[in-house]
Amino acid sequence: MKFLNTLQNTKFSSLALLDISYIVVLLPLLLMLKIPMLFFVGVIIAILIFKSTPLKSIGILFIFMLGMLALYLSLYGAFSFRGLSRLKLFLELLVYILIIVVAMQRLTREINFYLLISPFLFLALSLFFYYGMLMLIYIIFELFLLLWMILSHRMGGDIKEGFASSMVMFMYSLPWVVVLFIFFPRISFEHANYGFRGETIQRMGHDGTMYLDSNALLVPSERIVMEVGFEKEIPPAHTLYFRGSILYIDKKDHWEGLAINAKRETKPFYATTGLPIKYQVTLYPTQKKWLYALDMPSKNIKNSILDRDLISTVEKSIKEPLHYSANSSLSAKFYDILDEETFKASSTFESDHNPRTYTKAQKLQKSYPDIEKRAKALKHFFKAQNLTYTLKPDALDINHTTDSFLFDTRRGYCVHFASSFVTMARMAGIPARIVTGYKADFINGLKNYLPVKEKDAHAWAELYINDYWVRFEATATASFVEEDNQEVHSSSFLSKEVNLYLMYVKYQVETWILHYSHIRQLQLLEYAKNNPTFVAIFVMSLITLLLLTFVIISYFKRPYYSSKTLATMQALLKRLKKEKYLREDEETLHQYLIRYAYKHPKKTLIYDIDKLYEHIIYANENSKNKQKELKILIKKFLKE
Amino acid sequence: MNYTISPDFTPIIDAIETHLVGKRETIALSLATFFAGGHLLLEDIPGVGKTTLAKALSQALGLDFGRIQFTSDMLPSDILGVNYYNQKEGDFVFKKGPIFTSFLLADEINRSMPKTQSALLQAMEEGIITIDQISYTLKKPFFVMATQNPYEEVGTFLLPSSQLDRFMCSFSIGYPDKDAERAILKGGSKEQLVKTQAMLDTKQIESFMQKASSVTLSDTLLDFLQAIIAFTRESGLFEYGLSTRGALALTAMVKSWAMLQGRTYATADDLQMVTGIVCAHRLHFKEGTTTMLRISHEIFSKIHSDT
Repeated sequence: MKFLNTLQNTKFSSLALLDISYIVVLLPLLLMLKIPMLFFVGVIIAILIFKSTPLKSIGILFIFMLGMLALYLSLYGAFSFRGLSRLKLFLELLVYILIIVVAMQRLTREINFYLLISPFLFLALSLFFYYGMLMLIYIIFELFLLLWMILSHRMGGDIKEGFASSMVMFMYSLPWVVVLFIFFPRISFEHANYGFRGETIQRMGHDGTMYLDSNALLVPSERIVMEVGFEKEIPPAHTLYFRGSILYIDKKDHWEGLAINAKRETKPFYATTGLPIKYQVTLYPTQKKWLYALDMPSKNIKNSILDRDLISTVEKSIKEPLHYSANSSLSAKFYDILDEETFKASSTFESDHNPRTYTKAQKLQKSYPDIEKRAKALKHFFKAQNLTYTLKPDALDINHTTDSFLFDTRRGYCVHFASSFVTMARMAGIPARIVTGYKADFINGLKNYLPVKEKDAHAWAELYINDYWVRFEATATASFVEEDNQEVHSSSFLSKEVNLYLMYVKYQVETWILHYSHIRQLQLLEYAKNNPTFVAIFVMSLITLLLLTFVIISYFKRPYYSSKTLATMQALLKRLKKEKYLREDEETLHQYLIRYAYKHPKKTLIYDIDKLYEHIIYANENSKNKQKELKILIKKFLKE
Repeated sequence: MNYTISPDFTPIIDAIETHLVGKRETIALSLATFFAGGHLLLEDIPGVGKTTLAKALSQALGLDFGRIQFTSDMLPSDILGVNYYNQKEGDFVFKKGPIFTSFLLADEINRSMPKTQSALLQAMEEGIITIDQISYTLKKPFFVMATQNPYEEVGTFLLPSSQLDRFMCSFSIGYPDKDAERAILKGGSKEQLVKTQAMLDTKQIESFMQKASSVTLSDTLLDFLQAIIAFTRESGLFEYGLSTRGALALTAMVKSWAMLQGRTYATADDLQMVTGIVCAHRLHFKEGTTTMLRISHEIFSKIHSDT
């Protein structure tokens, strides 16, 4: 406020107010501008600073040419008319044109209507490029500032008055915003591409196919694939398997899922055993169709298809962040009756591809007639092979991948383990398949929040044992873990912790504020029903907010008196008003008080008050004692 | 009535009032103009007591009285004086004009030519006249009370606003009210001579003038004053706003009026009292007629004190 007071006497010109608005709305856009355009903006700013006279038409023409050149250079290569069907490029072009046009008009130093609305256009365009928490906060700031600037403009450049008025308007709206916020869930604009083609941002991590060759080079990426919010705490570390896709077909160098036209029974077998849990998932664009759910999904995720392998898919690939709630029963196995097609797919193997493995598997099958024991023996066999888990495996013999891994290189990661395990299980007569997805790292979690990163992508095996599909963690059979696989922690433990907390806060805000959906609303209601304290806190905070609003509004709308003395007099003046003595338009305070005194000859105190007030205000006799005296006199008068 | 005249001045006003019945306020304002060191322009129809006021005022203040009846054929020398050749002494001798007096009544000032008008007005402003390169200082105090008849147009030369600005105040005496007029009709005869005793000497006058100029103007009042000045300039109601000289005149009048009430500080009431008479001849409404009351009303219904 002190800062504002210093500004009280300086009236801002409309152009100055406009410039402030430009600085604020252009700030986020500057981050996306290409260098030639940035240079152009720099030139415009330099001209505005160093040349205080309006630019002549020749100069404007020059600026136009310069702007077009900057535009051309900025979009060079990226631009083609077909490219315009991409939303971002189209908008980028719009922003550039707007900047050039605004610069041309601004340099004439004349304000017209179009110049006045241009900050709002910039604001609107910047919304296409940024979303998320920070932008939300910034937009609120921008809207407030623009409101402030508009009011100041209308008030002839008085930014102090403008601030008070805009603050009052803002505070009036605040309680409504909060109430509307809670009662009206966000509408999802996930597919708001306005007829443009979506941007293709590829994410690594889980894929529908699983490569065993050099394609499978892993990058330990920290990028977040999805964020999971559990209702209570995060379940134990060994249960955090997020099911993605199922692979049946061994293609030597890679595994594939079943063909789409495979004739399978579609009846799904939901998991019923295990600990039931519920959780919310925010899935970032994967450009694929899989939704991820914890083993084993017990319910269909809304708007998706859950197939008989408990794999959830949506119809179109995911191009915008997706929010869904999922239900699972935490379990490593689920009941299923194999139809012919599935049985065939999960039992097929080519014995001549991996002859060494085949002989070992045959041996196992003979020595362990019980299928359960055979599976255990298989695990033991893997352990006995002294396999090493490493992210930098040696190249495998593509034609004999399993043999090569189990008996030659003995080095690999989840892909190689799972692939070999499934192959050998099939050879030993156990139907088996590969599941790919994510195995979340428990250490990444905080309270009920668990981010899943790209490096968490994983593959494991599922064996069909006694009418149940049972999960086998093939990598657990590794005897060694190569040390340098432990990713290098460049950041310290503390910064990692802080980062995690920041992500946690961001996630909470995003789920409860940005993506406050109908489901969340119901959840909130349900929660409120069971927790009266929550309702009490909610009501209390709403009341606090209202009080705060009231305080701020009354602060900014407080009556302004020319002097402290006059403020002291208000008690008296209010009393006179109550007695229906209104001060007339052209009356001075003295005349008003005397008029009152005439009508009430008994109240002689008013003469004293008038005299004292006059002395304080007009005779420069303002002292603390006099002020006190005045206060006492007024109190006395009010008591009479 | 929102003012009480100090006992220092009530005898003077009482004395003058015997000749100008029921015009205490006019008398008091004239006195205030005198003590503020300004000059007064009376705009009124003939026969309401302009000359009577002037005579009674000059007598009560103990000042020597001079009167010029302005006509269309008057020359500046008729006012200022003339150098004539004295045959006895064989040299040019300056013969002082009627301006060499303390209290000058310039009757019907708008009847003379602008040349003559301006001769007087320059003397009013500077207190010095120059004839044939010799400067003569006028008496001190020097008070001009000019009258003009606003309703007669034939053969008059209206004072331009630059000249009007030299007068500190302008107002009219107006008709007396019913009771006062009855008293006049009952008692007075037309020939009754104005005879009032001098009630102040030069020293007293000087000390009062000194007092008037040292009246305190508080910051609050100056704010109010400046708001009024700004209003006359920026409201768009007037053809042009109050000049700096006008603002100075307003300040001097406020102080003098406060002094007349025996106060050492001026209040918003004082300002309200004198603003009309100071501005009446200085401001012109763009639309409609300009009157003292209208000016006062327009200003004080929009600019408020003590808020």
